Amino acid sequence: MKRRILVGGALAVTAGLALAGCSDDSPDKAAKADKAAGKPELKVAGAFMPEPVMDTMASGFFTVTNKGGADKLTSVTSGIAKKVTLHSTKGNAMKEQKSFDVPANGELDFARGANHLMFEDLKQKPKQGDKVAVTLHFEKSDPIDVEIPVKAATYNPKPGKHTSH
Amino acid sequence: MRKKKLLAAAMLAAATLTLSACGGGDDGKKPVADVSVESNGDKAATILDKPFEKPDLVLTDTHGKKYDLRERTKGKPTLVYFGYTNCPDVCPLTMSNIAVAKKALPKAEQDKLQVVFVTTDPERDTPKALGKWLKAQDTDFIGLTGDFDTIQGSARTLGISIEPSKKEKGKVVSMHGTQVIAFSPKTDAGYVLYGEDTTVDDYTKDLPKIVKGATP
Repeated sequence: MKRRILVGGALAVTAGLALAGCSDDSPDKAAKADKAAGKPELKVAGAFMPEPVMDTMASGFFTVTNKGGADKLTSVTSGIAKKVTLHSTKGNAMKEQKSFDVPANGELDFARGANHLMFEDLKQKPKQGDKVAVTLHFEKSDPIDVEIPVKAATYNPKPGKHTSH
Repeated sequence: MRKKKLLAAAMLAAATLTLSACGGGDDGKKPVADVSVESNGDKAATILDKPFEKPDLVLTDTHGKKYDLRERTKGKPTLVYFGYTNCPDVCPLTMSNIAVAKKALPKAEQDKLQVVFVTTDPERDTPKALGKWLKAQDTDFIGLTGDFDTIQGSARTLGISIEPSKKEKGKVVSMHGTQVIAFSPKTDAGYVLYGEDTTVDDYTKDLPKIVKGATP
């Protein structure tokens, strides 16, 4: 038992270290701590939707980077689908998630084989070259509109990115 | 003393975690934690020292007809994958990768290659639903559905563990296999595995060897 507690403690400490290690510019730790507690500063990049097989279901991916305090992605809406849900992939099973954390000075990453958006009941089948408009809703930040480009069904910019297993 | 050692080990582990967390952008690099699992470097294919026997699997195809896997694919290069059609990401990615790579083969070899998709969600994947989904990717893909226990049993003989679809908070959760297994036309044994990170380029490079039963 004692061992477990110890390891847990050490990991918690290093989680902090990891954050510090990842953020770049300012060496001023105090300022950084302030920032981490403050307003989130979100940016969305690398969005894509692989061309779906049918008009019943599609997936979407992107990365949210945060240069401020912690936030949460709480929902996604789109005119193209009746429903958009958030999913993680764990142990080869898809699980719907209520929200995804956007860590302070960190990023929330969606990638093939890992976190993904699931679009259900599409109005039409998006084709490669199309753009799908979605709105990302956050707990603290204002909603962000994203135009997601539709790529080939086989598009996978970061194979091997799903580190969850 | 022991305490110290433990802590040091944990720190070390966390240091590696940090590295992989920061290296967000670099493509193709395996996460540190996976290295011990995938020991064959950059190659997508895992060649099995002890090949799998082709499962003795009799199910229903997308035309509603009985399909005997061993009988129908005997002496033919065959790829087998376990997945389900209500899967937005990995299942269509895997099948599309194979579909695109297959089209790069000479016509005669395209005809030889058997691609078999076995559903892990037979309740929702009726022959008709399965047929519609597969046809949208490649008209020659074979889709099999039937009794879940039969499907689970044959997946198990290939080292693939699947659970029946279950309802969680009104949502159906289904599972897909992580691997595509290639069976040799020479021995009918499953001799190569492809994980879900396998890209369309990997398949395009390897399929010409797989159709001959050669080692990719």
